[in-house]
Amino acid sequence: MPKSAERPRSTKTDFSATPHVISIVDDDKSFRGAIARLIRSLGHSVAAFDSAEDFLQSNRVNETECLICDVRMPRMSGLELQSDLIGKGYQLPIIFVTANPTESARKSALAAGAIGFLNKPCNEDTLIALLDEALRGRSAAR
Amino acid sequence: MAQEQPLLLAVMPPSRGQVRAAAVVAAIVLVAFLAALPFSKVQLAVLGPFVAVVDTILFLGDVITAALLFAQFSVVRSRGLLVLATGYLFTGLIIIPHGLTFPGVFSPTGLLGASQQTAVWLYAFWHAGLPIAVIAYAVFPDAARFSWLQQSSAQGAILAGCAGAVALAVGLTLIATLGQSMLPSVMVDDTQWSPARMVLLQSTIILPLLVAAMVMMWRKRKQSILDLWLCVALWAWLLEYLLIALTSTRYGVYWYTGRVFGLLSGTLVLLVLLSETTKIYARLALSVMAERREPEGRMMSMEAMSAAIEHEIRQPLGAIMANANAGQRWLGRLPPELGEVREALDCIAADAQRSSEVIRSFRAMFGKRYQPEAQIDANELIRETVALMQRELEATRVAVQLDLAAELPRVPAHRGQMQQVILNLVNNAVDAMRGITDREAVLRMTSRFSDSNGIELIVSDTGTGIDPQHLERIFDAFYTTKPNGMGMGLAICRSIVEAHGGTLSVSPEVPYGSAFRFSLPGREMAVAAK
Repeated sequence: MPKSAERPRSTKTDFSATPHVISIVDDDKSFRGAIARLIRSLGHSVAAFDSAEDFLQSNRVNETECLICDVRMPRMSGLELQSDLIGKGYQLPIIFVTANPTESARKSALAAGAIGFLNKPCNEDTLIALLDEALRGRSAAR
Repeated sequence: MAQEQPLLLAVMPPSRGQVRAAAVVAAIVLVAFLAALPFSKVQLAVLGPFVAVVDTILFLGDVITAALLFAQFSVVRSRGLLVLATGYLFTGLIIIPHGLTFPGVFSPTGLLGASQQTAVWLYAFWHAGLPIAVIAYAVFPDAARFSWLQQSSAQGAILAGCAGAVALAVGLTLIATLGQSMLPSVMVDDTQWSPARMVLLQSTIILPLLVAAMVMMWRKRKQSILDLWLCVALWAWLLEYLLIALTSTRYGVYWYTGRVFGLLSGTLVLLVLLSETTKIYARLALSVMAERREPEGRMMSMEAMSAAIEHEIRQPLGAIMANANAGQRWLGRLPPELGEVREALDCIAADAQRSSEVIRSFRAMFGKRYQPEAQIDANELIRETVALMQRELEATRVAVQLDLAAELPRVPAHRGQMQQVILNLVNNAVDAMRGITDREAVLRMTSRFSDSNGIELIVSDTGTGIDPQHLERIFDAFYTTKPNGMGMGLAICRSIVEAHGGTLSVSPEVPYGSAFRFSLPGREMAVAAK
């Protein structure tokens, strides 16, 4: 069904009112920029990284409330980043968005606790719903 | 496709190793000959069973060689091979009466009402037969000429050859037994022959034949493995002849050595045929197995290819989608953030461009392979392709009609790809005609001139035909009516033909079947098409 312009723009919860810190890790520049633009348009504060290593070395790791991450990346992959973060004790909710959806990657990501595993191009509503779930869970944990 | 090395013994050129091996064997024979020379007067023991054993081995060897050569003939269809096979069969058969009538083997005087002269005359016929066959083999046009489609079936020819060999052997035996009074006597007693008579016999009949055969095969020696070793066999026979000519008694050193040379030459061709045949069979089995895996390989690489395309396209699409959504949201704010919207739209345009680049570069990756490489003779290609499919065509009882224009112009094309196209069309035709019982299954291949130096080839069948609604769709990729088909064959064919500057189309045949026609332009048109 084609989306109409009258679709309500507000999300289901009121988390969009509070700006949250979201990080994006993807080696594809245009996708990274586009997702960043979308998340910003939701009112959040976004930092984008072009590799998992850059993200880990930055000072955003502690502040990030949700990570949107690609799977296939040169050097450290998304799944490796996930297990690294778990190993270091971060309870960072991750939403995977990938251009190469494989059943095995999906299974291991979800088994390790990812909030979601989406294909590119991803459905806006699904992404937003997952984001809300991630942020809700996070603040409940606080 | 790998090089066009013919895998048939009768036409495969010998490798350098084999030429060297043949030279070594010939040298050893010569050395043995020279070593025996000083012992002209030495008599050895009369080994009764010797003749029987040697004859048996030679009989078996010749008959098996004949069988192998007939088998080669059934594939290569060259008349020279048929004659050679018949000659070997005759040579084997005539050994039987020779052994039966040889004094001391089965009875003191030999069987079949033989006289003293019978065995030696049979020996003469025996040793004349093969050189004659070899000469005929050398004289007939090259085995490499692939006269594939002689209408007469190979089986009939083989039976005729066998019958001929049997008739000749029987006839000559009768002459040597019943008609022996007509033959000049050569033997003096059971173990000696008159040297003058023997030399006369040998030099008027056997020697010229041997020398002529030797000369003709020497000229052909590098042409095929078979020719090379026939040369060596004839060389051994020539030396055997000399030894027999230089002595006048049986059971002497010369005689024994000569018979051993005869043994060698008789089994040599057989041993080579067997070992080479086994090697070729093994190579063929491996390549068939590799080919069976090829569709899987192709499927796997198509899988990998489509995964790569998927990945490359999903990235820009994902970005376009996210930018569009973001743009809508920025536009929905109060006030709308037009700066962000503009950036989003710019990115969308850039990503759309990127996607189309991805597609173009994938196409270019495929497109590069379809370049015409040489001028090909389409008639020859058609004949060769039909020959390749011969077994399949015979097994499915498909009759082949060729209607090929004489003096068809050569056109620039990539030979391997053209063959792939023709093979695909022929395979489709055979599949379409599988199982029809109420009419004849005919595969018709036509070639004719087309406008401006080009040619047109038509592959038609009398099969089930194609549903007129789907007629154009069959060239679409992934369209197939076969349960196991992938649907790529005709799409690839059309793409190959179009890359050559031609067209591939299909039309229904009346009253049943389909005709696929494809055109290839001549040189000027092909250049323009690039």
